[in-house]
Amino acid sequence: MRPILLSGHERALTQVKYNRDGDLIFSVSKDQQICAWFAHNGERLGTYHGHVGAIWTIDVDPTSTILASGSADNTIRLWDIKTGKNLKTWEFPTAVKRVEFNSDGSQLLGVTEKRMGHLGTIVVLDVKIDVEAEQTDEKALTIVCDESKATVAGWSYLDKYIIAGHEDGSVSQYDGKSGDLNFNIQIHELDSPITDLQWSQDRTYFITASKDKTAKLITAKDLEILKTYPSDTPLNSAVITPKKDFVILGGGQAAMDVTTTSARQGKFEARFYHKIFEDEVGRVRGHFGPLNTVAADPTGKGYASGGEDGYVRVHQFDKGYFDFMYEVERERQNKLNQQ
Amino acid sequence: EDAERINSADVAVVQERRRLLEEWYAWRAQVEEELAEEREVLGLPADPVADLLNAKTAAIAPGQEEQIIE
Repeated sequence: MRPILLSGHERALTQVKYNRDGDLIFSVSKDQQICAWFAHNGERLGTYHGHVGAIWTIDVDPTSTILASGSADNTIRLWDIKTGKNLKTWEFPTAVKRVEFNSDGSQLLGVTEKRMGHLGTIVVLDVKIDVEAEQTDEKALTIVCDESKATVAGWSYLDKYIIAGHEDGSVSQYDGKSGDLNFNIQIHELDSPITDLQWSQDRTYFITASKDKTAKLITAKDLEILKTYPSDTPLNSAVITPKKDFVILGGGQAAMDVTTTSARQGKFEARFYHKIFEDEVGRVRGHFGPLNTVAADPTGKGYASGGEDGYVRVHQFDKGYFDFMYEVERERQNKLNQQ
Repeated sequence: EDAERINSADVAVVQERRRLLEEWYAWRAQVEEELAEEREVLGLPADPVADLLNAKTAAIAPGQEEQIIE
């Protein structure tokens, strides 16, 4: 697996995202830059200028027309992917830690930070996927997180639910239309923040990563824990791979937090687990610091990781990856082929 | 005797994996069916993004289909 190194950022990466076709990669960083790259050769397509603070999050609409970004400058911005034009800026009282488009790109959710005098919220904005259109100033919905602030959030299948991961390690299911809290479950260890939440392709289940060193596979409908992936380091990110039944976890202890010799290695590796059997099946080295974000190509061809070291590493899977099968998987495959 | 014990342990592992695999795909089949039903009730297309992408392609190159002459 030969990685392509994307070096365009000067500070730690915060989120990396593929578009739906898997041909473009978008990356954001604490260096206030948004970069767009061609996934197949790592060539930079462009940058998007305007934010005046660390950028925490990015998402791309399903038609690859518009980008949304959230920043420590307390704004969510929309961008024309092709021209780089800043189409809209929404201001908030605090930093924006996560943005995500719903399934058809008609709405965007944003997770705002908690700060003295301000509770954490999840806001929903109506969006027009049209670079010429006037975007509304009004929020369609505001969910206030008065128990524990949300750190991450996303839209389920049919946009039926908004699912949020919280600082206290719990996960909430809200009604996607009304914003009413349906229920909240302590999924991860108490007070171990949930650092990432990424969906399966049909958004009926998702994976969470937590500082409690585990990632978990959870159903959107009931918040039932399907699988648990234990690791030996605090996790910052987790993703479900399409086509093959794997999950990829990223994390690592920051140098300043490493106090013991046992953590000398830093453990800056992407870890592959079998999604169904929960076994760790491999690791990919390369980063010089913790992995802050991992993303999977929706077409199943590869994955990308963004590190505290300021690099994005893009990996195209080789034949060995696609051929790898457990005996029982091969057995099932053969049975299906015979039918 | 040792070989036999190892062998039976292997068999147990394989059987457990077979069970997990079956359980997973049974659950997936059920979820996919439920989702398809919900889509139908709501009158939604099977792939919500396909229409959007078609609309975008049409907007970029209007009438291109009619221009194809063989």
